[in-house]
Order: sequence, then C-alpha cells, then structure tokens
Amino acid sequence: MTATLALRDDTWWRQAGIGLLLPIALLIVWQLVGTAFGTVRTPLPTNIVKAAGVMIASGDLPEALLQSLGRVFGGFLLAATIAIPLGLLMGYSRAVERNLDPVVETFRPIAAIAILPLAILWLGTGTSAAVAIVAYAAFFPLIVNTVAGAKNVNPTLLRAAATMGLDRMATIRTVVIPAALPSIGVGLRIGMGVGWTAIVAAELAVGAKAGGGGSGGIGQMMFVFYAYSIELNRIIVCMVAVGLVALVLDRILRAMMRKLMPWALP
Amino acid sequence: MGPSVTAPAKLRLDGVAKRFPVAGGPDTVAVEAFSLDVRQGEFLVIVGPSGCGKTTVLNVLAGLDSPTSGTVAIDDRLITAPGPDRGVMFQEYALFPWQTVWGNVEFGLRYGPAGDGLEPEARTQRVRRTIDLVGLAGSENKYPHQLSGGMRQRAALARLIANEPEVLLMDEPLAALDAQTRIILQDELLRIWGQDRPPADRRTVVFITHAIDEAVFLADRVAVMTAHPGRLKTVVDIPLSRPRGDATRALPEFQALTQHIWSLIRDEAYRAAVA
Repeated sequence: MTATLALRDDTWWRQAGIGLLLPIALLIVWQLVGTAFGTVRTPLPTNIVKAAGVMIASGDLPEALLQSLGRVFGGFLLAATIAIPLGLLMGYSRAVERNLDPVVETFRPIAAIAILPLAILWLGTGTSAAVAIVAYAAFFPLIVNTVAGAKNVNPTLLRAAATMGLDRMATIRTVVIPAALPSIGVGLRIGMGVGWTAIVAAELAVGAKAGGGGSGGIGQMMFVFYAYSIELNRIIVCMVAVGLVALVLDRILRAMMRKLMPWALP
Repeated sequence: MGPSVTAPAKLRLDGVAKRFPVAGGPDTVAVEAFSLDVRQGEFLVIVGPSGCGKTTVLNVLAGLDSPTSGTVAIDDRLITAPGPDRGVMFQEYALFPWQTVWGNVEFGLRYGPAGDGLEPEARTQRVRRTIDLVGLAGSENKYPHQLSGGMRQRAALARLIANEPEVLLMDEPLAALDAQTRIILQDELLRIWGQDRPPADRRTVVFITHAIDEAVFLADRVAVMTAHPGRLKTVVDIPLSRPRGDATRALPEFQALTQHIWSLIRDEAYRAAVA
C-alpha cells in the first residue's frame, strides 16, 4: 500500500501539477484584483494571452525570437571559441595564467551593457554589435569556469598519465580536457544565460527598426511597444517569451551534457 | 624458490635520500641512506610504519619524485622521469572517471608509447584478455563510479598489466579493500605475476603495504623500513615455496615470519600509534 503511494507521488504529472499550483493561484488573484481595481491600461492575464495569440499568429514574435536567438548563438559560439582554449591554457600553465588573469579580472566587472556605446560606434546598430555584446557577456563565465576546471584536475590522474609515458599534448587531450568538461559545461550554461540576458538589453538600443516588426529582435520589439505604442500586454508577452526560451535553452544544454558526460552527472 | 641471489639487479637504489623543504623550519627528511637492489623477476615488498617513506621510495623508482641525493637506476640506466617501462598502481585507484573499464584498461596502449606498433586488433585482444584475467568480464562498459571498491582495484590492476611494463610499482593497492576481497586479490595477484611460471618469466614487482601478513604471503623478500627518518632497517628472505595459496597462510613458517617482521617494527609502530 505504501509502495503504491510512494510510486504515485513520483509521477511526473503529479510533480508538475504541484509546481503549477502556486503560479495558477497567483494568476487568478492577478486577474481578479486587476479587474476590480485596475484601469484600462492594467495588463490582465486574459488580455496577455490574447495578445500572445495575435503576436504568434502574425509571425512577429517568432521572427523576433529567432532573430535574437541567432545573435545569441553567434556571440555564444564566438565567446566559446576564444574562452575555452584560452581557459584550458590558463588552467594548465601557471605562466599563462599569471599574465592573463589580471586582464580578465579587470574587464570582468564591466557589465556587457557598458560596452554598448563602443559597440555601436565601432560596429553600428546592427547584428554585429549585438553579437559582440553577447560574446563579451558570455566570455567571462566561460573562461572563469574553464580555468577552474583545468586547474582542479586530480593530480594523481596527471601522474598516472605520466607513468604511462604520455607526452604533454596527449595529456592535455586525454586528461586535462575531459577532467575540465563538467566545469566547462557549467560555464556554457551560465554563459548562455547571461548571453540571453545581454541580448535583450543590447537590442533595446541596437538593431533599431522603427515601426516594429520582428527583425530587430525581441529586445527591440519590447522597446517599440514601450516607446511608440505603450502596449503593456505585449511587453509582458515578450518578457514571458524571454523567460521560456531561456528555460528551454538551459534544458537542452543540460540534456546535451548528460549525453556527453555520462560519468559526471547522476 | 625465489630468484637466485645471482640474478641481476633490475632496479638499484643507491644512497637515496629525499628531503622536503618546510617553510620556516628545517627540511623534513622522508628517506635517508636508502640502498637496495631489486632483482629481475623478484616480488619485493616494502613494509614499515606510517610515515616511514615507503611511498617516497616508490615515487622515486617511478620517476615521479627525484631524490635529493643518491641515485636510482633501472638496468643500470639512471631514472630521471616516469616511463612506460615502470607501471604504477596508485593507492587511490587513479582510474579516469570519464573512461569505462575498457577505456581505462586501453588507455596506455591507445595514448601512450606502450601501444606503439600494436595493431588496433591486437590492442583489442590484449584489453579483452586482460579484463578477463582480472575477472571483470561483463563490466567493460561500466564507469568507475558504478564499480565496487574491489572492482575498481581490479580495473586499476588490469590497466597496469595491459601496458606490460617491465616493472610493476604498487602502492598499497589492496589497502582499501575488505578482508575477503583482499585475500582473493592477493591470490590473483600472484597468479597474474606468474608464480606458476619459472622465475625468469616473471615481471619485477615492488609492492608497498602496511599489512605484514600480506607482505609475507606475496614476497620473495620483505624490506622493512623504520620511520623518522625513513631508513631501510633490514631485508628478510621469505623462503616459502611457490605457488602459494591458502595452505601457505596456515603454515607455521608463515606465522613465524609474520611474527619476526612484526617484532622488527613493533616498538616503532607503538610509538607511532600513541604519538
């Protein structure tokens, strides 16, 4: 009897149901309070769902999300291509780390959005500036985690490789990189997250295309709704879309890592 | 029954000392004036109380540590770095967690010089044979975290012997095991080493343990060390006949030798225990 109960408690729909309970309750309260005390402009869940329907049907929202996703992937790949090899080198070689660490740590506290003026001046208000900002934002969590992973290789494993006669390059390839992979994975997840955060901020200024449409990306779309038409429902649709896309991206990355590193995660 | 006294020295430690610097104080002397020849095909076991420098001696032989003074040589060539001619089995298993049992056993053959000139097919065969030999058939695709302590130890042993090093250096390889598994692996270790074969066909083993009965059961000779500083106190011949097995453990000679070696390190072991 207890066994059956325990099994039931573990079903996914039951867990998901419990997780949805609070959000649904909040939505209901929001709807009721908004209807009772709000003005015409107060966004209500029902109106937001309606707005979402319109924006999806017109293709504007999917287009904006795809535009932003493309920029995020571009910047993310650019950051990973530089940060991972560099981080491995810094983690493996004390000399390289001593030289590069002060540079990295000086730039790290400078928010991605703070380089926006330079990015616009040098790269214009198009995709390349947005990509550069994403790359800048994703670079730091990637490099910091890669360095940590490469530095924390169990020294006994390095000794084991040495006693089997492996040279330096073979050791990096077969011991340092696999040992650092779980940390790099964490860096990829955080980097993807901050990249996605940065794109929304960057597109508020970059990718300007007055009059709306989806080709300016999700951030620009929000800016247009804010500055030109004051459509709160649509702005909230954009916010929710940003959050959901981030969730899906993270789940995909995590699934890929579980596949790639069956030894590292339960 | 051990290798004859005239067998050539495979390994030679000559006046080896190892000191480690201590910040703001005199150096710690781990090992001092250590001289010993290990003969070709010999199973040499080093015993001694904790902190006597057993592991330091092994690391110097492996080339992982260099002696502060004195020399260490294999076949009269000075040892200055690790090499595939000397395989090491580490106390903490040191299996690669991202490799399966198969990947771990294949590791040295695939990425190191031990596999030079070995066709992929021959390599696969050797890995297959080695995994069967240590009794891990059926667990090839498991990762180390999915194995019991005894199975990890077998995997580490398989990785060591798959590389076919001339010298096997083993640092308390059975220390983490329960008593039954330990006895089983002692028997298997002797079989894999080749106690049924003539001494000329055996590999050279240097094996560290703090278990005296284990030392007597395995060894041709037992090197007894004392601590602070680590020195070689004496070398005890173990003239028990081979092949050895459960019957050996029941022999009065076995008990006598164990008692004798215990008497050599007893005082110090007590001192170390209360210190």
